[in-house]
Amino acid sequence: MADAVIVFDNVYKSYRDVKAVAGVSFDVASSTCFGLLGRNGAGKSTIMRLIYRKAERDPEPRGTVSVFGFDPQVDELEVKCRSGVVPQDDNLDEELNVSQNLRVFARLYGIPARRAELRIAELLDFMELREKANASVRELSGGMKRRLVIARALLNEPRLLILDEPTTGLDPQVRHTIWDKLRQLKRNGLTIMLTTHYMEEAFQLCDDVLILENGKAVLRGNPKQLLSSHIEPYVLELTDVNLAPRTIERLPAGAARVEHSDESVRVYATDYEVLKTVADLLPPGDHHLRPSTLEDVFLKATGRRLDARQ
Amino acid sequence: MPASDLRPPVLAWRLYSVWHRHMRVYTRNLISNGLPPFLEPLIFLLGVGIGLGRYIQTMDNVPYIVFLATALPMTSAMFTASYECSFGTFVRLQFQKAYDGMIAAPVTVHDLFVGEILWAGSKGLFFSACVVLVMSFFGAIPMPLGLVAVPIGFLTGAMFGALALLVTSFVKNINHFNFYFTGFLSPMFFFSGTVFPLDSLPRALRPLAEILPLTHAVRLNRSIAMNRLSAVLLADGAFLIVVTLVAGYLAIRRLRRRIVV
Repeated sequence: MADAVIVFDNVYKSYRDVKAVAGVSFDVASSTCFGLLGRNGAGKSTIMRLIYRKAERDPEPRGTVSVFGFDPQVDELEVKCRSGVVPQDDNLDEELNVSQNLRVFARLYGIPARRAELRIAELLDFMELREKANASVRELSGGMKRRLVIARALLNEPRLLILDEPTTGLDPQVRHTIWDKLRQLKRNGLTIMLTTHYMEEAFQLCDDVLILENGKAVLRGNPKQLLSSHIEPYVLELTDVNLAPRTIERLPAGAARVEHSDESVRVYATDYEVLKTVADLLPPGDHHLRPSTLEDVFLKATGRRLDARQ
Repeated sequence: MPASDLRPPVLAWRLYSVWHRHMRVYTRNLISNGLPPFLEPLIFLLGVGIGLGRYIQTMDNVPYIVFLATALPMTSAMFTASYECSFGTFVRLQFQKAYDGMIAAPVTVHDLFVGEILWAGSKGLFFSACVVLVMSFFGAIPMPLGLVAVPIGFLTGAMFGALALLVTSFVKNINHFNFYFTGFLSPMFFFSGTVFPLDSLPRALRPLAEILPLTHAVRLNRSIAMNRLSAVLLADGAFLIVVTLVAGYLAIRRLRRRIVV
């Protein structure tokens, strides 16, 4: 792809006996948002680290990583000066206050002092942290810390923003604020790559998602297209398993697909009326008829059971 | 957002920016961080002046207070650099994850730790300068030659910073630094010609003292301060530099594996 910002080709990364990333290939187009989905241990964070040389890929089997046309293991500085990184942990300097944290990083990016001050003021406004400019990092709430880390990653006006679980552990207000900011950045031409466990987040933000399982890519595509092509549009959820036998026997043959887990059953169907008919015959409560979501696609692709890495 | 010239900073800037980060954090608590380097030599002077000094007037043909005062800037540099690059580095590495954040900016692991060694040297310089200032006020340091402790304090700080980084690269539990401090640095304080001349050591032990890094820092500083120049001093200076380079090289190689995973 001509305007791909990130290209992974057959990349492997092992930690001792564990293949964290096992032959992954994908590309991220410029000015789009690309999401990596997968359970804990599926290889999402490792892929993020490979982008800015926080990790190094296995020399064998041979694979290549290209970011802005640079191999991070050869030209790490070229990659880093064009990128902003929001790691999973808020690794802010707790010994410094909010604006000092940004100033120290502006220095690391080589931004001249006067321009740095303007940029810091701009970013504190953008991230709605202006009142906290002189607050100690310890006083900040989780949502403020996260916004500060994002502001820090934007100091150098990057072309690529990498976010590892940007909204994990945050309340809905903060999450939606962050989503709005990311949308705004994307509209201005920024390429965004993120990992998330929230399918809603991927659905809201991503133009493209890659679902990983045991270090391998299992599904790739636009979230809305995945939803229309990889899962039945409706699902009847039964949160009381005792309702399952009579529900299933009332379904016309071949009209629905049933998924069992320990304490719930989900009945997927293309025809809304089929599900509606059986749902109406059930006692109220303990069931819910809803459109399918990306989470259903995800669970279908990766399975419902926990695996050893989780 | 306006497009800007996205070019990675040059090496000197990258090292400076890492150094600057440590400087900002250090100067943020100016009183608690800036007072001890002045207080320590004062307490030492008091102890020697009202206690030890009454029993020992001269050492190695100079007033005992002068003998001590020409070693003290180096031990001060040694301790501050060692703390900075052991406990300090470990906390940044393991608890604060500060390096994980910094490494996302255009700096390499090499830049991070060379910058840190330069910072350790700067703290050594500052602490030595404080000792010289206090001691010279009481006439315990020959002037102006005693000022040589300032640059030698830098070299000593950098050397002990690099050595502490090497130790840190092996340490998985922060309590293990106690072995380094009580097992290596504290004995070195006594057996490096700091409080008594190496000549008074048993002949068999003298080569051992020559292995101790502090020995070379103290001899270099004391000899120049007292204008006793000799060729040995070149070897002492070279020792400081070579140990810094070798320990720094090995430390960075090992620490790299803790950061780039």
